[in-house]
Amino acid sequence: MTLVRWNPVRELASMEVDKLNSMFSDFYGGIDRAWVPAVDVYENNDHEFVLKAELPEMKREDISITFDNGVLTLRGERNAELETTRENYHRIERQHGTFTRSFTLPATVDAARIHASYKDGVLTVRVPQLEEAKPKQIEIKE
Amino acid sequence: MTQWDLVRELATMQDRMNRIWGNVYDRGREDVSGAGAWLPAVDIYETGEKEIVLKAELPGLKREDIDLTVENNTLTIRGLRHRDDGVADGQYHRSERVYGACSRSFTLPNTVDPSRVKAEYRDGVLAVRLPLREEAKPRQIAVDVD
Repeated sequence: MTLVRWNPVRELASMEVDKLNSMFSDFYGGIDRAWVPAVDVYENNDHEFVLKAELPEMKREDISITFDNGVLTLRGERNAELETTRENYHRIERQHGTFTRSFTLPATVDAARIHASYKDGVLTVRVPQLEEAKPKQIEIKE
Repeated sequence: MTQWDLVRELATMQDRMNRIWGNVYDRGREDVSGAGAWLPAVDIYETGEKEIVLKAELPGLKREDIDLTVENNTLTIRGLRHRDDGVADGQYHRSERVYGACSRSFTLPNTVDPSRVKAEYRDGVLAVRLPLREEAKPRQIAVDVD
């Protein structure tokens, strides 16, 4: 009977490292994978909804914002040409390609006055509410 | 309020694993270490003009809150992201963005000329240009033979 020395390092190395790595690259290094930009939504002191999405290095014309049936949708595409120049890359962690994110807003929003701006890689969408939706002070009578 | 930071968790985990497995599986030449609340995503590539370009995603930072240093062949990016003024936690319906300090360091190859490093911040991305040294031209030395 032959005894084989147990070599934990080799065991580790022979684990399915490639599978692991491809899992990681699928998650955040993939070229054509969907990209999920981080978004904050808050209600400011003027009772506007303020939505801020992190969309670094995008062209304004590549960002689309639509409001339909109470749903605000952001769409965009970045760096689709990366695929062709990929061999010159040492490291790709940034997400490239397309994204879509949708948010349901309350019925009290004033769709006509939604406006958006883009600065320092952050898209800011301001969604005002209708006058009648704003909080009112109710006086107590006798 | 919960922060959505799965991407950062995974990035940190992969960096850690790459360190465990050593250079065999990490094809990049640069080392990575990060500290702080979040890790900016970074792409590194070479251009035809003899330079390495490093692009770090730092959306929503002010220029004065970004600090870039090169010391002993180590390039370090530090940043600080502030929450919007006058918004209380209770006013947030959704909070996925990460605030606070970030830091990442990269070891530069010897072929980079640290005195000519340039950086620019535009549309939330810090682009650092690292020109490669002019390689010394091969010289021919004539040796007199007696």
